[in-house]
Amino acid sequence: MLNYIWAGFIIFSLVFALVADVRDLTTDAYRNEQPLPLTVSFPEGYQAGVRRVPTNVLIDPATYGRFYATDARPDSAYGGYLVNTREGTQLRFEEGVSLPEPLGTIRGFSSSRDDELQGTVQNFRLAPDSLAATAEVVFTPVRFVKLNAITEAAFDFAEVAVELALGLIGVIALFLGLLRIAEAAGIINALVRFTQPVFRPLFPEIPDGHPAMGMIVLNLTANMLGLGNAATPLGIKAMEELQELNPSEDTASNAMVMLLAMNTASVQLVPPVLLVAIMGLQINQLIFAIIIVTMISLIVAVTSAKLLGRLPGYRKTDPDRLAREAPPPDAPAA
Amino acid sequence: METIRYVISIVSVFVLPLLIVGFPLYGLYKKVPVYEEFVEGAKEGFSVAVRIIPYLVAILFAIGMFRASGAMDFLVEGLRPVLSLLGIPPEVLPMAIIRPLTGSGSAGIVLDMINQYGEDSIFVKMAATMFGSTETTFYVIAVYFGAVNVKKTRHAVPAGLIADATAMILAVYVVRLLFG
Repeated sequence: MLNYIWAGFIIFSLVFALVADVRDLTTDAYRNEQPLPLTVSFPEGYQAGVRRVPTNVLIDPATYGRFYATDARPDSAYGGYLVNTREGTQLRFEEGVSLPEPLGTIRGFSSSRDDELQGTVQNFRLAPDSLAATAEVVFTPVRFVKLNAITEAAFDFAEVAVELALGLIGVIALFLGLLRIAEAAGIINALVRFTQPVFRPLFPEIPDGHPAMGMIVLNLTANMLGLGNAATPLGIKAMEELQELNPSEDTASNAMVMLLAMNTASVQLVPPVLLVAIMGLQINQLIFAIIIVTMISLIVAVTSAKLLGRLPGYRKTDPDRLAREAPPPDAPAA
Repeated sequence: METIRYVISIVSVFVLPLLIVGFPLYGLYKKVPVYEEFVEGAKEGFSVAVRIIPYLVAILFAIGMFRASGAMDFLVEGLRPVLSLLGIPPEVLPMAIIRPLTGSGSAGIVLDMINQYGEDSIFVKMAATMFGSTETTFYVIAVYFGAVNVKKTRHAVPAGLIADATAMILAVYVVRLLFG
């Protein structure tokens, strides 16, 4: 299942990016190589031969709308400057100004400097008072926006993933340390004995008194109380305990699936910190709703984990079952 | 109701300090070499985090591409008629789809909806309830299974998604019932 979903994400992003880009190309959404007429004014006057002249760029909204066939409208004026070089004159918009689409996207492509929109000036006609001029500007051609965007996203998110994982090191270490003490002191065992009657039917694979049960209880408790920071390391530890019971190296056991399902749908007595931060006091009204929803969805999660596990396809891959049916090769012959 | 909530909020404040202080104290009482045991356990922290990396990279980059390509918006549009049959307002649809994929993304959606519809809007309440009632399922799968190097997740994804879908639909109905 995960194989298909994962591949689906990648294939669909490629397909969608290509479709969007081809559509942009056929409609020439960015008007590549076509000049946009505009007016520039020179608050300090224009002097021929000066390399860099500060200007205000005025784009007529109606012209803009017609030119790009868009409803977006430009601001009344943009700061910028003209740069005269031997190759011709360039118009550069001030860094970081907010531009209407599609100019915003074009800016991302005219790259020498990141946050400056720039284009080549044609048909420059200076007014007699040399305080303003009309001109036409050709921007950098833009092609395959989405294709570039998905590649960039792939790189960015790969980095984010590593940052996330490394950011967990400290908290994971803290809790693994505490749990080790708890195990040695017998706290986990006490917890197991205490909660076994409730959890036993959900995790029939776990032998009596095994510490895995204790870790699961701690994980679910932390989850319930909205302690995301603590729930993750506890869940990881619970998974490790379950993996010790799992005869297979790379296939999830039924108990693992159950733990996962209970985690994705765990009862939330205290909502997640992030949500509280966003909603502020409003959250008080919602707690009751969240508790009702999560209680029912927990029941659904547990039932569906149990029932799906009975489907022939998933039954066939159940590592516990496989191990029962085929004794390990080094087992003594009966 | 008010008192129950009060008690819960107090309890949740005390749980973590209790774990962090209580475990070593009780260990000491039980004559466990607490410092040594702690260090021994904490040693694994690094290797666990590193073990998760490939799984997280795999999941997150695929989701990142999916969002960047605009496919997500298309999915939202495509599901609109189906969900309106179930009585789910299209306004909360982005939340329902993005929630299992990214936590920060869905937080962004709540913020965006507050700007768009106002804090008291029923849509914001629905979206926030969805947010609070479900997990970032794909992240949890990557982290939990990644930590033990399990690659064949069997029915974990369908079970998680069924639970998510239930919670999303329920959130709409429950909020409508309580505030509608």
